[in-house]
Amino acid sequence: MRGTHRIIVQNKRIRYDFEIKRNITIIRGDSATGKTTLVDMIREHFENGSASAVDLICDKECAVLDGRTWAGQLSMMKDSIVFIDEGNEFVMSDDFAAAIQETDNYYVIVTREGVPSLPYSVEEIYGIRNSGKYGTLKRTYNELYHLYHAEKHHQPGKPEKVVVEDSNSGFQFFQGICERSGGITCVSSQGKSNIFSVVAKQPDEKTLVIADGAAFGSEMEKLMRLIKGYPNIALYLPESFEWLILKSGVVEGGGIEEILRDPGNDIESRNYFSWERYFTAKLIQNTQDSYLKYTKRQLNPVYLQERISGRILAAAEGISLC
Amino acid sequence: MLNIYYGKMPEAVFNTAVYFKNAYEDAWITDPVARQMILDIDKSVVLDSAVIDSPVLGKIPPVSLSGGVKTLILMKNERSKIFNASTCGDDCAKWILKLAETDDLTINLRHLMDFGEGAFDIRILNTDKIVHSMRELVPVAGLYV
Repeated sequence: MRGTHRIIVQNKRIRYDFEIKRNITIIRGDSATGKTTLVDMIREHFENGSASAVDLICDKECAVLDGRTWAGQLSMMKDSIVFIDEGNEFVMSDDFAAAIQETDNYYVIVTREGVPSLPYSVEEIYGIRNSGKYGTLKRTYNELYHLYHAEKHHQPGKPEKVVVEDSNSGFQFFQGICERSGGITCVSSQGKSNIFSVVAKQPDEKTLVIADGAAFGSEMEKLMRLIKGYPNIALYLPESFEWLILKSGVVEGGGIEEILRDPGNDIESRNYFSWERYFTAKLIQNTQDSYLKYTKRQLNPVYLQERISGRILAAAEGISLC
Repeated sequence: MLNIYYGKMPEAVFNTAVYFKNAYEDAWITDPVARQMILDIDKSVVLDSAVIDSPVLGKIPPVSLSGGVKTLILMKNERSKIFNASTCGDDCAKWILKLAETDDLTINLRHLMDFGEGAFDIRILNTDKIVHSMRELVPVAGLYV
């Protein structure tokens, strides 16, 4: 599946209207906002169709996955938007992450827990809010709203320390920039799950965390809670380092500009578990026969040349490392 | 005092909605504290032990209360059990602190619930450390979720 899909589901008392943009969407937030009611309505429509008195409008089938037989149910779901309510512990398992990886479904998961085995975007974590009554009916109208925005946690001025999720090319790039700049320590956390522990060790330091927003969703709540108590910590969350290079314009042609305007239309969920993998593939493909040849493991030194690195840093809006 | 074990806890009741459905008693619903919690979180009024008036869903049975309120009611009435409080939103945090004022209450959290700006006493069972603010709690508890 690819692209954005609008879902309208309603009965006589309540209406939900929202869009799903990527393969994994997380819904959380306060109690009594209607998360379970939404999943129940989807389930009732899936089981009973129009005889459920639930209207559902979507260009894809919407289904619910739950219980101990989830793997068997999942094997029958194709090209569907699959909802999973809280209380289903299998969501946390590696088996589940492996099972959904090469499916062509989108997944909407209700959970307050971070799910590190699933690479979901910080942009696709939502709460449900009541938007009042709908039309002339006495029907409550609910919509999804973003809990986090990747671009809103920057910090003015130079940090003392930069913590990079990546341990390969992305880290090598920012390490090179910090060395050149002087006075900034740059460390790799060796993966997203270690970022919190690295930052929480010395939370009073003026720290900038750089991570791949396309897959950082599971860590976001923890970091945001930490930042609330220690506002000297800032986040920079581009989709990925490779996305940043593509966005900077140093690699020309290949329809990159158009793709970056709305990547979802080009990214098939069966082929790319998260958008960061797509951007890596795109960058490798578009530079393979040029002096900008990119590999994930070892940074091509050309990316640290001032002319190139300057353009990449200029694309990293909101951070200052020089 | 409120005791919290952060992270996966096999002995805790994970699916609190199923437990509530099969264990709740009529008196739990009509209890004055439960009535206040239901009004505060779900904006709903308890009419009697079997009927609650919800502004959104109409007249509903207790099993249709929100997951958060059901878990709060379980915490109040079954102190010998440990419940997964990650079925509760931040809007339930003040009620959890209140339930722990009179007797020890032990819960399991798999996320960082926001206990607000005020001071509190929470024992983090993973480290046996007592913390008094979110600024103290987060760097410790965040290592386990």
